[in-house]
Amino acid sequence: MKKLPRLKTLLVCVFIVLVTVLVAETLMVKVQTTYLRNEPKFYASTVAVLNAGEVVETISEANGWYQVRTAKGTVGWLHSSAVQTGKFNLAAIDKSLKTQATADEIALAGKGFNKQVEESYRAQHSEANFSGVDRMLKIKVTQSRLLEFLKEGKLGIYGGRP
Amino acid sequence: MRTYRKFQICSCLVLLVGLMSCTTLEEQIGAVSPVKVSASDAQAAVKVGKALRNSFADITEEEEYYIGRAVSALILSMYPVYENNALTRYINMVGQAVAMNSGRPEIYAGYHFLILDTEEVNALSAPSGFIFITKGLLKRCHDEEMIANILAHEVSHVTAKHGLQSIKKSRLVDAFTILGQEATKKYGPQELAQLTSIFEGVLTDIVGDLVERGYDRKYEYEADKLAVKVATSTGYDPDGLIDFLQTMVDDSAGQSGKGWFKTHPSANDRMGRVQKQISGLKSVPEVQQVRTSRFQKSTQGLK
Repeated sequence: MKKLPRLKTLLVCVFIVLVTVLVAETLMVKVQTTYLRNEPKFYASTVAVLNAGEVVETISEANGWYQVRTAKGTVGWLHSSAVQTGKFNLAAIDKSLKTQATADEIALAGKGFNKQVEESYRAQHSEANFSGVDRMLKIKVTQSRLLEFLKEGKLGIYGGRP
Repeated sequence: MRTYRKFQICSCLVLLVGLMSCTTLEEQIGAVSPVKVSASDAQAAVKVGKALRNSFADITEEEEYYIGRAVSALILSMYPVYENNALTRYINMVGQAVAMNSGRPEIYAGYHFLILDTEEVNALSAPSGFIFITKGLLKRCHDEEMIANILAHEVSHVTAKHGLQSIKKSRLVDAFTILGQEATKKYGPQELAQLTSIFEGVLTDIVGDLVERGYDRKYEYEADKLAVKVATSTGYDPDGLIDFLQTMVDDSAGQSGKGWFKTHPSANDRMGRVQKQISGLKSVPEVQQVRTSRFQKSTQGLK
């Protein structure tokens, strides 16, 4: 007699898990590369690197940051400006998270003005200085150097705020 | 037993809410079947994509990046780069500090700042975070607060997508129509020729506003307003913007109509607005001597 309630409990639990998975909001990374951080701050340590198109599951939200879980199960924080919300389906639980963007999103990804259009434009406009742009893109400021700069200048978290 | 009954009721409620949410989700995605994308899925989805895209705000982050790259390539064909690694690195530090406190701290390939080797006083921001300031402009700055506020103004043009708003709507309609017809990522020769022609038009619109006509006044005022907020939240004194504008008011030679003077509303007008905004702030950060010193050190070799 005791077996039946246990079975019901188990079924209910399965339903709850299923519903949680189905209603959880997902986000897609829209920038080339972003960092998953261990706290909702740009100064926080990086726990993973994510690339454009990767889809993550939302756990919570705070002050413009999302706490998320990646396809590999890593948990951390992403800034809202790095992700796109809302148009991804979670029902395809048998697929990897990366394949779950809805078809319209996939149709748009990589389309429009892309590398192919740039190459076509470059072929007709030799005056445009794309090598200069590529050199500009190589200018990088590491997080540790930026933190030193902020600290020295008493900026940001180092006391500059009114 | 009562606990178990309560548990059952709660579970049913959770399930009901869950099912309702699923319906909403389905509506949100336009009832498009997700999962693996077959050619027919993609074709059907393109119709949704086409319906979704009809203005500059619908330009994707990646498209904005390719537009920004090409606008920058044209700017770099007009002006040589001022080759000074230490100063470029310093400007990028200040720029990253303010960008981090902007409304859009993360952007497709990040923010990048470059100095143009010209005496012309100007600052230009291409879509997707490619920002240029001239040597002539840097020479007018006396401290880090000034350059930080100018960069905050340029970053704000990017965050508010002012460059993309220069694009004529008809061009976007043409582009989105072509994109709506084509499901594959690789274009055929005809679509590619059409898109390239539209791309050329897009660049003409943006570069024309940036270099020749200037943005609409309301965008300049908006960028000033955002700059005060961004500079303040970074820890810079927003009076740096007033100080810079003052140098422009005092400049009689500059009124001849090149660069910044040609493309921006009157400095006096802007100063009044910025001053009013700053007066309304409860407090503002103080200028720190250490910042002024490092600015002077970084710019001492500026010729």
